[in-house]
Amino acid sequence: MERKDVLPVLAGGLVILVVALVVKPALLGEPIGLASPGSVPVHNPPVYVPPAAAPTATPFPDDGAAYTRNFRWTAIDGGVRTTEVTVPEALFLEHRETPRFSDYNSWGRYALAEADRPVLEDLAREIAPPAANPDEGYFRLMNVVFFVQQIPYDKDENTTSYIEGALPPHAMYVKDGVEYPKYPVEMLVDGRGDCEDAAILMGRLLDALGYDTVLLRYSDHMALGIRMNEFNPYYAKYTPKYFTYEGKHYYYVEGTNYCGGDAFSGDPIAVWGKPYPIGDTQDSLPSVQSETPQIIPLRYVPEPGEYRIRPVRLPAGGA
Amino acid sequence: MDPDTPEPSGLRIPKLPDLKIPKLTVTREKALAAAGTVVFVVVVAVIGGAILLNYTEDQQVAAFHSHVSASEADLFLVSGKITSHMRTPTNDLSVAECDAHMREFAAIARYGRDVTAYHRRIVAADAVPEAYVGAQSAYVRALDNLNRAFTFWSSAAGAYEMRDYNAANRNIAEADAAWREYNAAITDYDRELRAAEEGAEVPPA
Repeated sequence: MERKDVLPVLAGGLVILVVALVVKPALLGEPIGLASPGSVPVHNPPVYVPPAAAPTATPFPDDGAAYTRNFRWTAIDGGVRTTEVTVPEALFLEHRETPRFSDYNSWGRYALAEADRPVLEDLAREIAPPAANPDEGYFRLMNVVFFVQQIPYDKDENTTSYIEGALPPHAMYVKDGVEYPKYPVEMLVDGRGDCEDAAILMGRLLDALGYDTVLLRYSDHMALGIRMNEFNPYYAKYTPKYFTYEGKHYYYVEGTNYCGGDAFSGDPIAVWGKPYPIGDTQDSLPSVQSETPQIIPLRYVPEPGEYRIRPVRLPAGGA
Repeated sequence: MDPDTPEPSGLRIPKLPDLKIPKLTVTREKALAAAGTVVFVVVVAVIGGAILLNYTEDQQVAAFHSHVSASEADLFLVSGKITSHMRTPTNDLSVAECDAHMREFAAIARYGRDVTAYHRRIVAADAVPEAYVGAQSAYVRALDNLNRAFTFWSSAAGAYEMRDYNAANRNIAEADAAWREYNAAITDYDRELRAAEEGAEVPPA
């Protein structure tokens, strides 16, 4: 075989290579050259970026202007007590200037407001001082319940419900009137509030004592649910009402001594000082007796039911 | 000189002898050698082609293996973050702690979404032998569903931030559904992979 016979063969091979490596990939939109047609450029994989820390709130100064309120109330032992509460004015004003949440589900945030914690923990200690005897737990609980129930009831749309004598700027106008859920310290400074305000305040105070509570929302009312394993006292002439939420029993507790409108008859004394025991709904509103309430936990964190990543078997033949 | 037949004097064109096809003498040995060469060339071409094809398929499976392996390694890290987050008890958290918990949840969702999108792009672009197409498709589907689940988690965290707890709950429910579809896709992947490697018939899903 001579040289002149080899050249056409080499030229043919070259043409085939050019067609295979350049022309065909160019026509099919594949990468030109010897790269695998399926491969994509591989960059660094994503990395976890931790969330930025939230700025910490500046505590309210102890020596600043403050509101002082005295509450006279009847304890479970029948004794009449006076409890003084001091709320920093700056804290109260900050709450007044805070927009309200329209979603009822987030109202637990009012109860657990971080800024209110020092005031409410002090108040809970004063109303229900820690006791060495565990049997006193029930008395401590009932004193908190009675204390809140005896704070006068007033509707959100009444200007008498606010120390300013006017509706707050963030009062929400709803179909049935006005809605203004108060932070616990707002109810203490105003010295009055409606059913959700009382439930929120009671929830916060009981939380400070270590009780697990939820808000119970009816079509026209709000009350509190206290988690108890079993509550069926021998003296009760009623069957204590409870609701099951996530497998736990929450017993109904009235936050106000609101008796179907009697509170507005002009004789508030007629209904004040008549505490409702835990689980008692005999004299409650018709909605309480007939409806199943929406249960709103004070702490809400969305919890996925499914979250497990399954490891898989790798294809054989790898490196 | 005759003008019609110019012929310089003294020059004569010699007469060509009659052209004949040269006689090929094919001996038996030569014929056998030619046939043997042809057979050899064909055999070499067939074997070479088969080896080349096999080599390409092996390379494709190796690339698929490496990409799934890288994906699984990153998903393991995501899984670690999730497991650690879910272990945190939320019963006694303050509002500030609940918010911090949710910020971490959002960061994990973002991480999971980025990881699944990244590996989905790589695995889906793999050219795999036909037997592995089912496994590849199931794995890509699994990553798609996981990506969707993380996207719903992100939306839930966003709704929480807006204090729209109903929307957060709805997004969590959607995410749960996407997780279930991810699980189904992983089951399909395992089955398809077994079928590709064992040559077994794929039972119906």
